[in-house]
Amino acid sequence: MTEVINNEKEKFMGLTHAQVFMYLLMTVISILFLFITNAYLFRMNFADWQSLPMPTLLWFNSGALVLASVGMIWAKQGAKSGSPTNIKIGLTAAGIFGTLFTLGQITAWQELNAVGYFLASNPANTFFYLITALHVMHVLGGMVAWLRVSFKVFLGSENTATEHTIGLLGIYWHYMLLVWALLFSILLTT
Amino acid sequence: MEQSSAYEGQPLHEPKGWWGRYVFSQDHKVIGLQYTCIALAIGLTGMFLSLLMRMQLGFPGLFESIDAGSYYQDVTMHGMIMVIYLLTALFLGGFGNYLIPLMLGSRDMAFPFVNMLSFWFYLLSVLILVASFFVESGPTGAGWTLYPPQSILEGTPGADGAGIILMLASLAVFIIAFTMGGLNYITTVLQSRTRGMTLMRMPLIIWCIFLATFLGLLAFPALLVGAIMLIFDRVLETSFFMPEIFKGGEVLDYGGGSPVLFQHLFWFFGHPEVYIIALPAFGIISELISCHARKNIFGYNMMVWALIAIAGIAFIVWAHHMYVAGMNPYLGFFFATTTLIIAIPTAIKVYNWVITLWNANIRMTVPMLYCLAFLITFLIGGLTGLFLGNVAVDVPLSDTYFVVGHFHMVMAVSPVLALYGGLYHWYPSVTGRMLDDRLGKIHFWITFIGTYLVYFPMHYIGFLGVPRRYYSNDQYDFIPQSVNDLNQFITICALIVGAAQFILLYNFVVSIYKGKKAGSNPWGACTLEWQALESPPGHGNWDVQLPVVHRWPYDYGLPGATADFVPQNVADEDIT
Repeated sequence: MTEVINNEKEKFMGLTHAQVFMYLLMTVISILFLFITNAYLFRMNFADWQSLPMPTLLWFNSGALVLASVGMIWAKQGAKSGSPTNIKIGLTAAGIFGTLFTLGQITAWQELNAVGYFLASNPANTFFYLITALHVMHVLGGMVAWLRVSFKVFLGSENTATEHTIGLLGIYWHYMLLVWALLFSILLTT
Repeated sequence: MEQSSAYEGQPLHEPKGWWGRYVFSQDHKVIGLQYTCIALAIGLTGMFLSLLMRMQLGFPGLFESIDAGSYYQDVTMHGMIMVIYLLTALFLGGFGNYLIPLMLGSRDMAFPFVNMLSFWFYLLSVLILVASFFVESGPTGAGWTLYPPQSILEGTPGADGAGIILMLASLAVFIIAFTMGGLNYITTVLQSRTRGMTLMRMPLIIWCIFLATFLGLLAFPALLVGAIMLIFDRVLETSFFMPEIFKGGEVLDYGGGSPVLFQHLFWFFGHPEVYIIALPAFGIISELISCHARKNIFGYNMMVWALIAIAGIAFIVWAHHMYVAGMNPYLGFFFATTTLIIAIPTAIKVYNWVITLWNANIRMTVPMLYCLAFLITFLIGGLTGLFLGNVAVDVPLSDTYFVVGHFHMVMAVSPVLALYGGLYHWYPSVTGRMLDDRLGKIHFWITFIGTYLVYFPMHYIGFLGVPRRYYSNDQYDFIPQSVNDLNQFITICALIVGAAQFILLYNFVVSIYKGKKAGSNPWGACTLEWQALESPPGHGNWDVQLPVVHRWPYDYGLPGATADFVPQNVADEDIT
């Protein structure tokens, strides 16, 4: 791939291609979660609805997701100040806490299942499993992107796009935290 | 094409070998063609299924293999294939991929690799769909709307086997494919326009594809959510949509769910889907009318704002598909009102096309014939839409052949006419050769007159109250013999129209080798895809430098210019 002069002038609000792509992707994911919560709020008004208790573990999982976001901020700061060590520390923390969150969610499902809150026994249960699973799948998508960036950082040479890439990855991770915060608060209060 | 350090625009990934060039290609033009070929192939299958249905309706019992079950499977698969896998894929995946970078003066899509993935996911979704024909108990026969509870209950064709699951899985994969493609189209339109190509200098078809993609990205998630929940209900016996059901005196495991919830999710996608198909058709018509009437498009700004209005209002009309599902009358009033309001921006577009034609130097080329046919057909389909948009009129007409006549006119025949016009118009850009004009005209007249003979009578059959989706009309006293005669007539016409489509296919294949050489700009169009370095455009589309845009895309008959058109990349001082 040859370095080229970029003379395509008509850019949108000074954003890069990847930024536009990422913001659009987050819009589409938001719409997906909007519909599923809409369906949740619609269905919960029916007579057979029985809310299920939220496992305490979910609070710890939420904490893990917050720490994963902090890791991404750390990495971003590292990229800004040109410190590869901080980038690596931040990315490692994000990876560990992201994995902990995912494993924690799976454990929470097992806990609920063990005490008889089966997937098909009540619509509230089904929605809980479905919504949390959809969120975990999107977190896993973030993990794949994290793997790609980490490979570049840990194994590759210096990359000028690192700050931009880490920044974008961070935005997605913060966004996953925000989505989780909204979903969790709906699950807690209904 | 060797890249130098002075090469302008985004990096080019040169294809490696035959496979890289034609199969796993990241070039938007090849991907566009791949989309087009697969969509046309599955579209032919959809047409074949419709002919099977027509055989049963026109000549009941003639084919023993068409029983009630297979009839419903044909109905369902025909609808789904035509709406999603043919029209959506061909307009956005085919035309979108081919035209966006070329018309915007870009080298390729913003993310060529994601673009390639989009096509392969689309192909996978088609394969999953086709696979359902070969599983035990066959594809789903639930009707293209897939309404629960019947779509997943034993007794409905394909419900007890894998048919319905494959259908839903195929839709989910299609949505992933569409999202990858759609994010690319929007990023490309926003980011990769060449110098001078401001948003308000974009050809209208790019505006249309851009907005249709937005509609798709915001509407498809609703279908995805509905599909996932329906798979849960079918496979895991949950009760998102399933109410309490008694079957043969026994209570099934389901209970408490809401079938209407599915209808809302389905139609929140389903109505914007109409515009996902209609907007690109509008775009094609805008390009073709202006070019083949040698006149600038009337009211460009108004056209753009009308499109934006249509795209916006498209999201608040969905429940007009559900008037008979049981609805608060005030809600029905609201949706009837929004439905009538959307007719205003749509009418603006139709008026503008007609005014563009007024006093124009109309060339009766095949694309222009398709434009004129589109205008009339879309007008008729739109007018019957006003009937159905009103609750009081819709209730008696709901689920009759009037509805079938209406939506085939407005979202089957109209877009297909635009599609054919587009294929005839851009074929020279893709292949460097012209399609045969005589064969084109024969194909046009049979298709145009034939489809009218097929769908016009359906409105009358609908007025008589004949229900749609019935396998047989035998046992209903209120249906007169004349309906059966008319059905025979419709079937014969449908067979002729179906056969005529092979003229197009023949023309396509033969013209690649024997068609008249087209030259670089056979229609004398102003848009950039005809100003590329080579004809057909090569990898990277442009020379070392990207084109610079100096004007809007419709400068036909510019005073002072010798030629009757001035391409977008010609500066004022270079006009001769």
